Amino acid sequence: MKTQPFGLIRNRKALVGVAIIAFILLVAIAAPLLTPYDPGARVGRPHQAPSLAHWLGTTRIGQDVFTRLIYGARTSLAVGFGAGLLITLVGTALGILAGYRGGKADEVISFFTNMVLVVPNLPLLLVLAAFIGQASPWVIALILGGTSWAWGARVTRAETLSVKQKDYVKSAEMMGEPRWRIMTFEIFPNLISIVGINFIGSVIFAIITQATLEFLGLGDPKVVSWGTMLYAAQKASALSVGAWWDILTPCFALAFLGIGLSLLNFAVDEIANPRLRTGNRLGRWSALIRSGEGRL
Amino acid sequence: MAFLLRRLCFYLAAFLAAATINFFLPRLMPGDPVQIMFSSAGAELPPESLQALKLTFGFVDGPLWQQYLTYLGSIFSGDLGRSIKYFPLPVTTVLGNALIWTVGLMGTATIVSFTLGTFLGILAAWRRGSLFDVIVSVGAIFATSVPAVVTSLIVVFFFGFTLNWFPTGYAADPALDPAFTLQYLGSVLYHGILPMLTLCTVLTGGFAVTMRNNMINLLGEDYIIMARAKGLSDSHVMLWYAARNALLPTVSSLAIAIGTILGGSLVTEVVFNYPGLGNILYQAILARDYPVIQGQLLIMTATMLVANFIVDVSYVLLDPRLKRA
Repeated sequence: MKTQPFGLIRNRKALVGVAIIAFILLVAIAAPLLTPYDPGARVGRPHQAPSLAHWLGTTRIGQDVFTRLIYGARTSLAVGFGAGLLITLVGTALGILAGYRGGKADEVISFFTNMVLVVPNLPLLLVLAAFIGQASPWVIALILGGTSWAWGARVTRAETLSVKQKDYVKSAEMMGEPRWRIMTFEIFPNLISIVGINFIGSVIFAIITQATLEFLGLGDPKVVSWGTMLYAAQKASALSVGAWWDILTPCFALAFLGIGLSLLNFAVDEIANPRLRTGNRLGRWSALIRSGEGRL
Repeated sequence: MAFLLRRLCFYLAAFLAAATINFFLPRLMPGDPVQIMFSSAGAELPPESLQALKLTFGFVDGPLWQQYLTYLGSIFSGDLGRSIKYFPLPVTTVLGNALIWTVGLMGTATIVSFTLGTFLGILAAWRRGSLFDVIVSVGAIFATSVPAVVTSLIVVFFFGFTLNWFPTGYAADPALDPAFTLQYLGSVLYHGILPMLTLCTVLTGGFAVTMRNNMINLLGEDYIIMARAKGLSDSHVMLWYAARNALLPTVSSLAIAIGTILGGSLVTEVVFNYPGLGNILYQAILARDYPVIQGQLLIMTATMLVANFIVDVSYVLLDPRLKRA
């Protein structure tokens, strides 16, 4: 039973990932119950160190950092999951369409996919956001959805090509099922692990990118999110004046959420690709994740 | 050869796409885009700069297609217009000076992290399930899932502000004259360590995981068993049979990663106040210097396409099948 401890580690990946995300979600939902302050209001002197009254100190203009952190979690999670869903929808639809239909449709979709892949994403987003000017979180989610689907489309297309050779697809074709039905009910359910990985990956990407765009000053500074917290702290030179709490708080929150999502992603990846597993027994937790895969 | 030629045509099309986006964006703005850009930049500029700004975006008298052709013509002759913030400096000068630093930083970080990540991945896959594998895999998850902004800020806080080991800004000591002297180059290295450290932390894990997964998928192949049956040494099988073949998909994943590397280095430069494209861009965003923001998309796209082409060439060199085709 030498592989046992490493099997456990694999299971723990999924478990820890789910726990981290659930924790952040709960805190975000319960934000008004956890803090007496308003995230935008000045409630203390500027740049106070962490204390009992202000658990994580105050910002340059005297807002409570802890309050902003838990309210900001709402924005970051909402944009992350919203944009992630959008990216996955577009990518999966285009990928299945290109892979299953083949021919001209495939050529056109693949050409655009490859083109989007070689135009650098962040600079493109910077230009778009700059012209929109002080983009709200929803606008950021929308442009992320419109520009970041290419990787998902490529992976889904490759997987579709192999699934469409399967007997059950052939027999569905023989029986004269309409094409949209084959794509949605025969092919899509068999791609669910790829779609799941794509979705979690897209959520991570969206959260990171939103924070980056806002950090670079392209977000709406009135919105409370982890990205605008970073922006405000950097603009107030929080590090050089020694107010580490102002800038490290959103940093660790982003890192924490990123790690949680990645752990989940790796766990799903290992379940979908059994060779990557370090153990050889499906654990309790991976079975749990698998049963929930459709909902990821 | 035909493969590389086809790729070149494709890159040209991709560059045209980026240029087209640049052309149409200002035209989608409501009202007079040049006036809006001008006023939001908050610049008190002479009228000739307004004229220059119009030319930058191809606002000439004539139908749309003529404006488009004029715009493409000026781009391909290397004219990206003039910066609003640094008027009358051309955008190409502003960005060109910065590009050297970015490419230097990006290039070194890519080579270091790709080499390191690949070797870690090979060893982790070879000893799958060992403590080493677990450390590499879990470490990679942690390092890659943390945004570059966050890694940079933590690195600059810890090594720069707390320990005071390394400088927290500039590419070299500003008191020194830029020249090929040992002192200047030493200063460049010293200032580059923290941004490099950040980028390598962000990038190495991804390469390690890709290589590890590729290797593991290959280890069950017949030719690996054959190589072992021939009695070859472990390290020989690992490097010349398994790793050599696993390297191919890793190289193509490098091409996809270039965009991420670019994004990461932009952010790192802002945090470390490094005089590369990222920093110029940050200043341009704050000043709403639209010609510079647009120019960077073209320059970054070009950089990315060149990097992709280098990956293509190395792909041809690594995969003998492509040479014959």
